[in-house]
Formats: sequence, C-alpha cells, structure tokens
Amino acid sequence: MSNAVTYNEQELVLSLKAKDPQSFSYLYDNYSGALYTIVLQVLPDRELASDVLQEVFVNIWRKIESYDAAKGRLFTWMLNVARNLAIDMVRSKAYQNSQKNQGMPEGGFFDKGGNTTQPNIDNIGLKKIVNTLKTEHRVLIDLAYFKGYTHEEIAELESLPLGTVKTRIRSALIQLRAYLK
Amino acid sequence: MNIQEYISSGIVESYVLGLASKEDQLAFEQHCSVYAELRMAKEAFEQGLEKQAFDNAISPPLALKEKILAAAIHPASDTPAPDLKTMPSPHTRLISPVRTINFAKLLAAASIILLAGSTLLNFYFYYQYKSSATRLDELIASNQQLASNNSVMEARLQQDEKDFQMMGNPNMAVVAMKGQPVAPQSLTTVYWDKQSKDVYLLVNSLPRAGAGKQYQLWAIVDGKPVDAGLLGSDVSNGLVKMKNIQKAQAFAITLEVSGGSKTPTVPIYVMGQI
Repeated sequence: MSNAVTYNEQELVLSLKAKDPQSFSYLYDNYSGALYTIVLQVLPDRELASDVLQEVFVNIWRKIESYDAAKGRLFTWMLNVARNLAIDMVRSKAYQNSQKNQGMPEGGFFDKGGNTTQPNIDNIGLKKIVNTLKTEHRVLIDLAYFKGYTHEEIAELESLPLGTVKTRIRSALIQLRAYLK
Repeated sequence: MNIQEYISSGIVESYVLGLASKEDQLAFEQHCSVYAELRMAKEAFEQGLEKQAFDNAISPPLALKEKILAAAIHPASDTPAPDLKTMPSPHTRLISPVRTINFAKLLAAASIILLAGSTLLNFYFYYQYKSSATRLDELIASNQQLASNNSVMEARLQQDEKDFQMMGNPNMAVVAMKGQPVAPQSLTTVYWDKQSKDVYLLVNSLPRAGAGKQYQLWAIVDGKPVDAGLLGSDVSNGLVKMKNIQKAQAFAITLEVSGGSKTPTVPIYVMGQI
C-alpha cells in the first residue's frame, strides 16, 4: 500500500490529533515495524505480540492528545506506550498461566532462540546492546527496562542496597548511550 | 550546577527510557528548560534510540494493519481508553483490556449456561423416560391379562362346542336325574353314548359335597349298582367324562367318603331311569 501523502513529525502529530484516518494509516506503515520489535523484546511470542501491537496503536490513536512534543519525540512516547503494554501482558494472569501450562521456566521469556521462523530476540535492537553489558549491569537493565520493575523491587529481588541499584543502572545506561552513537 | 556532569550521569537515558523516578523526571524537565546542552543530549539519545529501532525493525503480519485500523478507527464498543496524561513511565501502567481474557470469561460463562441447560434437559428426559417405562409396564401387564382371559374364554368355548356336538349326537341317550327327598332341588343329566358306551355327566345343581366327602355316580345294572366314577370338587364346568358303562337301566348319585366306596350308601341324591 502506498501513501501519496508524506508527513514530517510535527504534521503527523497534528493530523493524528485531528483524527485524520489517513495519518493513522501512515503512522502504521512507518512505525509498526519498529514498535513491533519493541514489543517482541519484552514478549517474544509473535501472536501475542501482534495482539499487544494492536492495543499499542489503539492507545496511540485514542491518547494522542496527551502526547506533549516539548517532552520528547513522538517515537519515544510510542516506544514507552508499547513497552508498558507488553510488560502489562507479560504480567497479566492469563499470560502467566499460559506460561505455566507450557512448563516455561521462571524468567525464561527471552530464551526462545533456535526457532527458524522466529528471529532470536536477543540479537535485535536494544536487547543486542544490553547483552554486551557486564552481567551485573545486564541483569538490572533487564529487570528495569524489559520487565518493568521499580528500583525498589529490584533492590529486593537482587538483595542489593537501593543506592547500588540506582548507580549500576545509571552506569549501564551511560554505556548504552555510547553504543547508540 | 555542572551541567556536563549532570548530562553524563545517566539521567538522560533514564528519563527517556521511562526509568527515572517522579522527582528525577520533574527536575530533568526543569533543567531542560534552562540548559540547551541538556535538551540536545536528550534529542541525540532519542534519535539514536529511534534509528536503532528502525534499523532492527521486524514487520508485523500483513493482515494486522486492516485489523488495527478497524479496531482503532471504528471501535466495536465505546469503552474509553485508560488515561495517559504524561509520558508513560513503567510505574504508571496502562490498563488495557486483553482480548483473550474477555474471550475466556465469555467462553466460561457460555459453557456454564450450556451445562445448566443440558442438566435441566437431562432431568426432563429422564422424567419422560421414567413415565414412559411405567406406562409400558402397565400396558404389558394389561395385555397379558387380556391374553390369559382370552385363552380361558377360548378353552371354555371349545369345551362348550364339544359338549354341544355331543348333545346333538343321535346315538346319545339323555338321562335326567331328578332330586330325591334328601335334596329335592338337585338335578343332574347323564349322556350315554350307546355306540361307544361312554358316559358324560352334567351337574345342573347339587348341594356342596362338604369336607372329606365326594359324590359318586352309580350305574344300575340288572338291579345292582356298578361304580361309574367320582366327581371332582369342581363340578360346575360342563360335561365331565365318567367311566365307560356297557349296560345300564338307571343312574344314581350318592355322597361317599373321599376316594369313593365299593357299594353305595344311602341316601340317594339324584336318580334317573334310561
């Protein structure tokens, strides 16, 4: 499907806020791949990730009013919508139960490699960069960013002082920036 | 404050990725309004993140687009989406209904209704079956009753037909035996086939024999009584075949002890001449 109209980011946001269906179609064509990857990093099941992606776009469409360009780029806002919805799905009772039924080990959501039809999620996007970090950093980023735990929850889970958790996450994030440049 | 130190503290990444605490977020936004370097550092990290995500993009299934456009632009229900006031942090959850949960609930509700309905039907059919079975039993019993009545009637009819044929036989001598003084109302009839010499007795009326007693038929041959057989306790059923008597001038019946006697005792109950 080709779109005759192209938008810059500011125009796109304005059209979305005006509830122009064509802008939504454009948004999907241009951002669905990147956002699908974000969801897959948290939730490697493609079918469930597709369900979550639908929720992501429905939320973007309905909540575009609350997007504030002064606070950040449109993609950053959508990235966080996508990640939060994916984490909600992973934490939902239905998902937890389905994982138990499949006999998946605790915390095994990211180890679904080896399937030829599914790319190894560990080797795409931010996940790939996170995997180059030292173990003590990688574990904390995984818990904070991909699993959505608060710093307090991580301190308890890892039996670390809260200050140490904050310091390690900060230092891991600084390394991430270096990789993204 | 040393802004370079602040920029390289990790706060930029932490804020952009939604990992900063509420206070840190507010402080960061304030600093952004003051320091252009901070805004640029944030913009640079956001662009790096975006480029990185686009470079690694995985296309979702093709059919998903139509589904999502339909779901967003023409929602089936007008349920309001959860509020999203500021840039979402992982600690403010967007609670969105997960389709699979609703479907599972719906399915569970439907199956409970189906189960209840099927249970009621089971009771209904079981009750129907029970009452049908009872009615069938009754019908079978009444049919058996009719069949046995029928066979009794048939046997009686055959007996009557036989009796009737015998009475119509031209060789048959009919001897009416009248009640004697001891039982004046009594009446019996002997049918004696003069060819076969068979003797049949019809009891029209006789007093009850009483316990230990039995009526005995005698043929009077040249003035002497000859035993012609004993009557059963039930004598009201048509002709009863007695002993074969070659020759007789009269017949008489006396009341004897059960099993009969060799010679008759008095009184004679009924008697008739040929």
